[in-house]
Amino acid sequence: MATSLSDGPSLRKDETIPEPPFRRLLIANRGEIAIRVIRACRDLGIESVAVYSDADVHDLHVMLADRAERIGAAPPAESYLSIESILAAARRSGAEAIHPGYGFLSEHAAFAEAVEGAGLVFVGPPAATLAALGDKLAARRTATAAGVPIVPGLSVALQADGSGPTADELARVGFPALLKAAAGGGGRGMRQVERVEEIGPALALARHEASAAFGDGTIYLERLIAPARHIEVQLLGDRFGNLAVLGERECSVQRRHQKLVEETPSAAVTPAIRQALFDSARRIATAVDFHNVATVEFLLDADGAHYFLEMNTRLQVEHGVTELVTGLDLVGWQIRVAAGERLPAELLEAPRQGHAIEVRLYAEDPHDQFRPSAGTVTAWQMPSGPGVRVDAGVEAGTTLSPEYDPLLAKLMVHGADRPAALARLRRALDETVIGGVQTDLSFHRWLVDEAGFVSGAYDTGLIAERWGDGPPVSVEDAAIAALVAARARSSGIAGATGDGPHHGLGTPRDGGWAVEGRRQAIERRRPA
Amino acid sequence: MSELELYVSGDRVSEADGWTLSWLNARQGMARLGDGEQVLIAVAEGSGSDWVVTLRGRRIPVRVMTWRERMLAEAETATGRPAGPVSVTATLPGLIVAVAAAVGIEVVEGEALVTIEAMKMQNEVRAPRAGRVTEVHVAPGSRVAAGDPLVRIE
Repeated sequence: MATSLSDGPSLRKDETIPEPPFRRLLIANRGEIAIRVIRACRDLGIESVAVYSDADVHDLHVMLADRAERIGAAPPAESYLSIESILAAARRSGAEAIHPGYGFLSEHAAFAEAVEGAGLVFVGPPAATLAALGDKLAARRTATAAGVPIVPGLSVALQADGSGPTADELARVGFPALLKAAAGGGGRGMRQVERVEEIGPALALARHEASAAFGDGTIYLERLIAPARHIEVQLLGDRFGNLAVLGERECSVQRRHQKLVEETPSAAVTPAIRQALFDSARRIATAVDFHNVATVEFLLDADGAHYFLEMNTRLQVEHGVTELVTGLDLVGWQIRVAAGERLPAELLEAPRQGHAIEVRLYAEDPHDQFRPSAGTVTAWQMPSGPGVRVDAGVEAGTTLSPEYDPLLAKLMVHGADRPAALARLRRALDETVIGGVQTDLSFHRWLVDEAGFVSGAYDTGLIAERWGDGPPVSVEDAAIAALVAARARSSGIAGATGDGPHHGLGTPRDGGWAVEGRRQAIERRRPA
Repeated sequence: MSELELYVSGDRVSEADGWTLSWLNARQGMARLGDGEQVLIAVAEGSGSDWVVTLRGRRIPVRVMTWRERMLAEAETATGRPAGPVSVTATLPGLIVAVAAAVGIEVVEGEALVTIEAMKMQNEVRAPRAGRVTEVHVAPGSRVAAGDPLVRIE
């Protein structure tokens, strides 16, 4: 049973633990998701290999992994997006598989192909599936062929010279409408237009943005569905055609078309709507060659009709809420499926229990259009206790790099029902203390008492319509802040500050020591 | 405490009546506050007169001035310093993707001068007041650190 480990030290102390799916796995990502995958590896008895850019030498994921490999300079193009550097790191470390996380190269067909070409396992779907689904126009055609409703609009690209769809065809889309990038994601290359005449000038801008962001300026037109709720369905499939449909997630709390809060189940989804959503998700998944975790995203209009948006064949940021209600380790299963394991029958019918909510803690200023905030995290106190889970990528002392996504941590709660989960979320937010950088914590505290959110009646317009930049600082809070600052100054508090390399706290994290300590540990474990 | 005058976002405020404070972790500026009903944790950061207090997740800028500092500040205002040249600096580190300002042009207050890309977002740096641009220190493609000079307006 342990023969495949003969060239390395066994990590298993108990021979009854099953053979790990891989001996060593490289994680081509950073931050909280790299740590999430490291944890899944530990649980399965797999050695984890972290990669890091020069900006991340002292980061938490580097310290937690069994090994770490440098992959280049801070800009993502020279490190986390460099296929060559990542494959070289995989070869040096002797990894058998590569987990891409989310973002970066996770949906990059050429990367999946290069990984398989190097004789390694890509923890994800086949490259051809990524290519087919990565093009939103192609995905729309696939959905239509599978009998799944799509957002009314065009399934061909708009041309810069005005050829392509006629004015009549454009008018039939219906307005207001959205220009969208075929290679898109994350709201970039998206522009709202109110009438046909606005398409021309908006198209040039959208094309420019899409080219810059994705290297592909293909744009198409889709009707704007509003009010709408953003609902997605979690799938898990193996290499034998078994498909588990693991419930929906409500992701309607968004800024810049990007999710901020997710929950399951959705208050808007009735059993009949759920059945229809699951059926559509299943149809799409069986229309493409797919194994791995995946999410099929839909818009749900006020009448309960759903429209296919896209299918993401990778781990989602918000996978944790599904894990809380199903009790499954989705990342663990993703790795096992990649290694060729078959999903057991009981997993295909996994029951869902209770209600789970996730809030994303971003280093962003919700009082200034959710602008990213830079700096060093000084104080960092995360909540705990019953029904609370925190997946964090930082700790006190971490300096945030402007090169990367400002997600600090995901705070998740689980309760018997929605009111219980909400109460838990309020309690958990009260326990959370972050110093040094402005985060969206103040927005989340407002949200948990917002009437629409509390009742479950909200849609994707919530932030724009009800939050804006949030309420001004209350007189009471101003007075309390004044009291704290005055006492801090008069009692000679050291002056913890997030600015600059010396933040007045001494050096809580001597990076050199931390890295040395980890390296020594690896040396001891490395086979002779 | 009586020798202190407190300002929050420019408005003078009094200390919170009925609240008591105890330091939990002085190194991290972490304090527990109570008024008999609720308990809050606040984080104080800063030095001298410039402080930021994080309360209920929100960073609130606070100026704590001694009478001496207050008088000096008033004297400075009286000499009309704010009307002089202003150096506009980068508020966050990142990559310059666009420069709208050019030497010699007149700008109005709030006009976009420079666009910095950081954390996958484009951030516009705007003119703090009207005036003529006399210096431009950056070009598209340059990398800047927080505090680096971008543009000078006179």
